Amino acid sequence: MEILSPYKEATDVILEAGGEPLRLCYQCGICTGSCPWNLVRSFIVRRIIHEAQLGATDFESEELWLCATCRACVQSCPRGVEIIDVMRALRKVVTELGVAKVPDALRLSVKNISGTRNPMGEEQEKRADWAKGLNVKPFTEGTELLYFPGCYPSYEARDKGIALATVSILKKAGMDFGILGVKESCCGELVRKSGNEAVFQSLVESNIRVFTETHVKRILVSSPHCYNTFKNEYPDFGGNFEVIHSTQLLLELIKEQKIELTKELNRRVVYSDPCYLGRHNGIYDEPREVLKSIPGLELIEMPDSREEAVCCGGGGGRIWMETKKGERFSDLRLKQAIELGAEVLAVACPVCMCMYKDSQLSVDKGEAIEVKDITELVQEAM
Amino acid sequence: MDEFEPQIIAFTCNWCTYAAADLAGTSRIHYPANVRIVRVMCSSMVSPMYVLKAFEGGADGVIVAGCNYADCHYIDGPVKCDAMFSRLKRIVHMLGLEDERLRRELISTSEGVIFAQVIREMVEQLKKLGPSPFKTKMEAPV
Amino acid sequence: MEDVKIGVYICHCGLNIAGTVDCSAVAKYAGSLPSVVVSRDYRYMCSDPGQDLIKNDITRLGINRVVVASCSPRMHELTFRNACQEGGLNPYLYEQANIREQCSWVHDDKKVATEKAKDIVRAAVKRVYFHEALEVKEAPVNPNVLVVGGGIAGIQAALDIANGGKKVYLVEREASIGGHMIQFDRTFPTLDCSECILTPKMADVGHHPFIELLAYSEVEEVSGSIGQFKVKVNKKARHIDESKCVGCGVCEQKCPWKVPSEFEMGLGKRGVIYIPFAQAIPNLATVDAEHCVYIQSDGKKCGACIKFCEAEAVTPETLLNQSDQIVELEVGSIIVTTGYDQFDPSVISQYGYGKYDNVLTGLQFERMTCAAGPTGGKIVLNSGKEPESVAIVHCVGSRDQNYHEYCSRVCCMYGLKYAHLIKELANAEVYEFYIDMRCFGEGYEEFYKRLSEEGVNFIRGKVAKVTDRAISDEEKGKLMVVTEDTLLGKMIRVPVDMVILCAALEARSDADKVASLFTLNRRADGFFLERHVKLDPVATPTDGVFIAGCCEGPKDIPDTVAQASAAAAKALSLISKGTITLESAIANVDETKCLGCGRCEEICTFHAPKVVSKNGVMVSSINETLCKGCGACAVVCPTGAMSIRHFTQEEIAAQVGALTELS
Repeated sequence: MEILSPYKEATDVILEAGGEPLRLCYQCGICTGSCPWNLVRSFIVRRIIHEAQLGATDFESEELWLCATCRACVQSCPRGVEIIDVMRALRKVVTELGVAKVPDALRLSVKNISGTRNPMGEEQEKRADWAKGLNVKPFTEGTELLYFPGCYPSYEARDKGIALATVSILKKAGMDFGILGVKESCCGELVRKSGNEAVFQSLVESNIRVFTETHVKRILVSSPHCYNTFKNEYPDFGGNFEVIHSTQLLLELIKEQKIELTKELNRRVVYSDPCYLGRHNGIYDEPREVLKSIPGLELIEMPDSREEAVCCGGGGGRIWMETKKGERFSDLRLKQAIELGAEVLAVACPVCMCMYKDSQLSVDKGEAIEVKDITELVQEAM
Repeated sequence: MDEFEPQIIAFTCNWCTYAAADLAGTSRIHYPANVRIVRVMCSSMVSPMYVLKAFEGGADGVIVAGCNYADCHYIDGPVKCDAMFSRLKRIVHMLGLEDERLRRELISTSEGVIFAQVIREMVEQLKKLGPSPFKTKMEAPV
Repeated sequence: MEDVKIGVYICHCGLNIAGTVDCSAVAKYAGSLPSVVVSRDYRYMCSDPGQDLIKNDITRLGINRVVVASCSPRMHELTFRNACQEGGLNPYLYEQANIREQCSWVHDDKKVATEKAKDIVRAAVKRVYFHEALEVKEAPVNPNVLVVGGGIAGIQAALDIANGGKKVYLVEREASIGGHMIQFDRTFPTLDCSECILTPKMADVGHHPFIELLAYSEVEEVSGSIGQFKVKVNKKARHIDESKCVGCGVCEQKCPWKVPSEFEMGLGKRGVIYIPFAQAIPNLATVDAEHCVYIQSDGKKCGACIKFCEAEAVTPETLLNQSDQIVELEVGSIIVTTGYDQFDPSVISQYGYGKYDNVLTGLQFERMTCAAGPTGGKIVLNSGKEPESVAIVHCVGSRDQNYHEYCSRVCCMYGLKYAHLIKELANAEVYEFYIDMRCFGEGYEEFYKRLSEEGVNFIRGKVAKVTDRAISDEEKGKLMVVTEDTLLGKMIRVPVDMVILCAALEARSDADKVASLFTLNRRADGFFLERHVKLDPVATPTDGVFIAGCCEGPKDIPDTVAQASAAAAKALSLISKGTITLESAIANVDETKCLGCGRCEEICTFHAPKVVSKNGVMVSSINETLCKGCGACAVVCPTGAMSIRHFTQEEIAAQVGALTELS
């Protein structure tokens, strides 16, 4: 019979990989209680941290890859433990030291990013194809605003509408903007959280180089994931840019009357706060104010909203991984929206959009509700 | 050639930092002998004149240390010291002394370990910087 | 300066110093310094023979300055100052050189340590040269004491002092004394009825010949210093004739206007004219002017109480024309016992306080189980039914850096207490959700064992959520407490009828105002700062002002009472001595240099310097009882007129100069 003993060497490796926050944990369990995984299966977050504290981590466990980095746990933690950093450190140990196998789907997506700068594995040359025929100018020195759609609106069919709506609004508002197209690389946010620091840093280097060469000052993003990494992580590598999310810019344009919302959209709409806009960056009001500015739109608050919003399940690289049916939080969230009698589920994130559109296919009456990005709704009202 | 041993003058407040230095002693925490401590009742008692006199005398580094903001025996001494210190820093800078030579520290009674650490750090830094530019005494013209 | 003759004494302190520092070499070196007439080294300077060396040299060699190089002055400065005094020398003509804590104990190279010791001694010799004889002044202490706050801490302190035959003013801002303790039902672990043990003390306070109770009053202004404080108290108008009111309570019964009762924590109502609870001391009615229709309508509407008061204590005159009164008190010491506030858990939206029915705080539950309370001592839900199951959630707002990082100390125990009461009064199922069980006091661990025997369910896990959303039929109509049971390593959902939140004890919302009134400091956790956390927990950095009870930090009743008595003892000790020794190392103005610019007055936190007119010239004048000698004024003085005795610019500069001499 094997009796467990603390294995300091393993703990040290985890600490070095960025797991320092685990020292603070006093094992209260509120992280487990707050984690959306426990709505669909058992995922004892607290135990993972304790195992790491003692060096008893089972690196081969699939549990290391569950965290969607939604931040519900960190928000409630009474000791302020950066649990997401601990998860990232565990994944980094697996990825860099090869102590276990990285899930195949994840490995493939990261390989694609490494090769063609996008997780889909599509050709880098096609990155700006979404903008064909729209007469969008390339970003050069002196252009006021860089529009950075990110990988999903650029390549993913379900998300293309976001980029198209955004460009249409920017034009109508008379904004001076441009895109970098094929010069863009994936922002790297999800790659970093999935444990691959090396690929992340090469993406950062590449993007910062391109941004600096073209004298980028202000970046408009569609994805809260891009928002988070440009704002909070790129400065550590010397990249200091002003970042604004599309919902923030929309509110500015509405307030300054640069765009006018004249068409009525008589719909019952619910809004699901994206984790990376809400809990990670404290942006809760702007998206709601934009929605309320649309004439005829009835905005209903979902149960579990704002700080308590339920994650769509796509963050942390999980959008690239397989989630069993019955364990998808996006299914639960969609059901909540349908139960409220909503006609539209409004999102502000291309990852959320993908996840919810997927859920539409498997949830009962899923087709009856529409999943729309806020930019798409605003464009419809113009 | 003898290795350069920097001299540090540390102004420490009686209730906090002086006590912390004492605690380092009772705990037998060793640190380099380069520091000479001047006891004042509060960090707000430190006049810029004392610091300038220390540099004038050839000190390579000066520390002005006292309580943390919430601990001061005289309620808001550290705040008053901060106000003096920001002006003093500018003067010292104008005199051509490197910024690392003048340090402000908030060390409370129980922080003996931190006191020793600060001394160690500063000695390291000053060894790299070299002697104070004011150290060489001017020879009177013959 | 008169002929300065310095005596230097190097202590070996056994091997503590001599093991590292060559004491005789240092003594020899010291003997070579200017003005040093004798230099000795000795094994233990603080011993009697050691001290005799100093005394003999004063008498026989006429030395008039003394330097002892030994341990830290924080250890023995007083010892050697006394030795000087006994030898006939002013105690301030002494300087101590720290060559132990700050030399021999922290360095191991003997050569280096000896050189450093020489530097320190040389600096002390240079400095002592400039020391001047200082008068040790005393001021009388006013024997009256002010106690601020009439909870159990204030009541205990007041009684201790009054029983010692000294006069106490007890100021309380609510209409009655009693604080939070009078709101409690039973107290842990003995389950004594709180009212039963407190009301005799309250009655004593009411009757005591030496206690002047100023209830429904607040301190407005404090000036002066230890031994002679002047305090202005605002006696708020009750709008009744206090000499006639008998506290019968008929006015409250007849008052047609009811408002939520603060005493009942919102679970019950009180009249606009009210007596807060049955055993109120003073037993007087009070009119809540803000809500009184008669007062607000200038006497045109209502007036029911006037009609029904048989004692004629409420009249149009008292209602309309009575105003607040300022009372001026003179006291020698002040004890602050202002207590705590309960944390408001509505900011934790996940717990549903204020959103769901039947989620209560600790103090609300106290009122519920109290026989004289709003539910007649019955534990009931909003619907009027008894609960079949109750959850008690620990650490609500405590041990949580999102709210209060500290532990509130009493919640584990009162959580157990509630579990017992629920078993006794409602025989419901009880679930205690805890992270750690803190049962540190007398009888506390035994109480915990008793509750286990009573069948209380303990679940270790910090509650993530309280929700009314049912996912099964059993859960309909209940509140679900969702948490990880960390000992099982599984998520658990417990359906209950009622949830009690053990909310944190936090500093009063107006603690800032109280702090500035009494020159108190607040700690990082919001409570008042004591002078030394271990060795002086009831004194504060402000001489003559003491703190006791929960205003100093969360604590249970035994600790509160102990602190209150400790503060009373400190006050009585001051009074017993009758005088206070003023700090001698204080500010001093050279009026020939003073411009009267007022920068010293501006910067001083203690209001010691004041620019006044002397012989037609504006100069700064120091109130010696207020000055603490911090030195800030001397630093901002543009002419050097201001100096701190014993810490003059001249002598500190001499010390600095001596230290850098050989660099």
